[in-house]
Amino acid sequence: MAGFVAVLRKDLTLELRGGESTLALVALSILILVVMVFALDPAGGAADAPIAAGALWVAMIFAGMAGAARTVLAERDNGCLRALYLSPLDRGALFLAKLAAASIFMIVAEAAVVLMLVLFFNLDFDLRLARMLPALALGLVGFAALATLLAAISGRVHAGDLLMPLLAVPMYVPALIAGVKASAAALGGAQWSAMGQWLRIMIAFDVLFVAAGFILFEHLLGED
Amino acid sequence: MANTFMRTLAALTGLLMFAAIYMTFAFVPTEAEQGIVQRIFYFHVPCAWVAFAAFGIVAISGIFYLWLGGQIWDDLGYACAEIGMVFCTLVLITGSIWARPIWGVWWTWDSRLTTTLILWLLYGGYIMLRAMAGDSPQVARFAAVIGIVAAADVPVIVVSVRLWRTIHPAVLITKQGEHGLTDPRMVATLLVALAAFTALFAWLLLIRFASLRTRSRLAALERELNLAEAAAGDL
Repeated sequence: MAGFVAVLRKDLTLELRGGESTLALVALSILILVVMVFALDPAGGAADAPIAAGALWVAMIFAGMAGAARTVLAERDNGCLRALYLSPLDRGALFLAKLAAASIFMIVAEAAVVLMLVLFFNLDFDLRLARMLPALALGLVGFAALATLLAAISGRVHAGDLLMPLLAVPMYVPALIAGVKASAAALGGAQWSAMGQWLRIMIAFDVLFVAAGFILFEHLLGED
Repeated sequence: MANTFMRTLAALTGLLMFAAIYMTFAFVPTEAEQGIVQRIFYFHVPCAWVAFAAFGIVAISGIFYLWLGGQIWDDLGYACAEIGMVFCTLVLITGSIWARPIWGVWWTWDSRLTTTLILWLLYGGYIMLRAMAGDSPQVARFAAVIGIVAAADVPVIVVSVRLWRTIHPAVLITKQGEHGLTDPRMVATLLVALAAFTALFAWLLLIRFASLRTRSRLAALERELNLAEAAAGDL
């Protein structure tokens, strides 16, 4: 627990002093949202709910791909990853700390994206946005877990930055489908019950990848 | 010994495959509603079986590699991933050929099609990792983790995509709990085709596995040689 807090505090301090990861995430997310608006040309009105939900999730996964893995990738400099591996820190706790830091960066970025989404798609600040929050939170934690796990690979192999999306996107499909469906239902004014099955899939995905990262992270950190 | 076994397996595979082809084209009756196109089913299903079996072995050998270590598990996983990828591609191709006349489209976002495509992309990523990252115990561990996580992800993918949409015919297990193969000759043909493809899988796997084993041993010898040369240089 102490190790978890120490690593998380270090990452947050680094981010508060430099702030490049979150800023890049926010900027990239908004940029992708703008591209989606041009590409899909929303007409304005209730029919836009699925389009807005789709745009939101595209922005999230593509920005996340570039930004969420930063917490692990930053450790490559000066052999910090090796130092972390050599420290008595529990590998599972290290994974959870990196996951927590990535999640916090993504929460900030998502808040900005949802704000821009409301402006671009002419939505209202009402209960419908609040209903979207569980799906967004679950999707974000799942993606952060996946990205943290894969970053330990992509950061240390040849052409790893190419590999990251090749591995991450197919694995993220269940959470993506469920997230888009749940968000579209929420924005379309559906009740909680309409989202239940999708939220359950996202919970299953999150449990799976957080557990997988917790158990398997150790095997990814070693060197030969 | 090994050669005799491989030759016997090759002969068995050839015989079974010949029987499967004969039965598919000459023995089995034409399906009443779909006509001649339905015969591709006897190749489509065995390909899917081999692909899933191969991807399953990738995950299992990944677990054994992380648990026990040993280059042999890594070689087994890699060989299975490659073969699974070939058969997964065949599933998508034969499915498309069938879907065009029956559904009127080459591709549709049905749940099984979508799941198979996601699997294809998933293991495509696995093979890209191995192809781009090269050979080292570190990459072997990365691949083992990806193989395990990918397989664990499959049930979630299946459920999510099924909720998303489905129109694929349930031939083997229908909703009533019966299979859709009305003629016993259809069942016989499917079983022979399954046996033929399983034998083909075993044969391909053993060939590829043996070549990967040889490569691993060669790499180990090279490492030893380098160490010996370095030691000699120190003297």
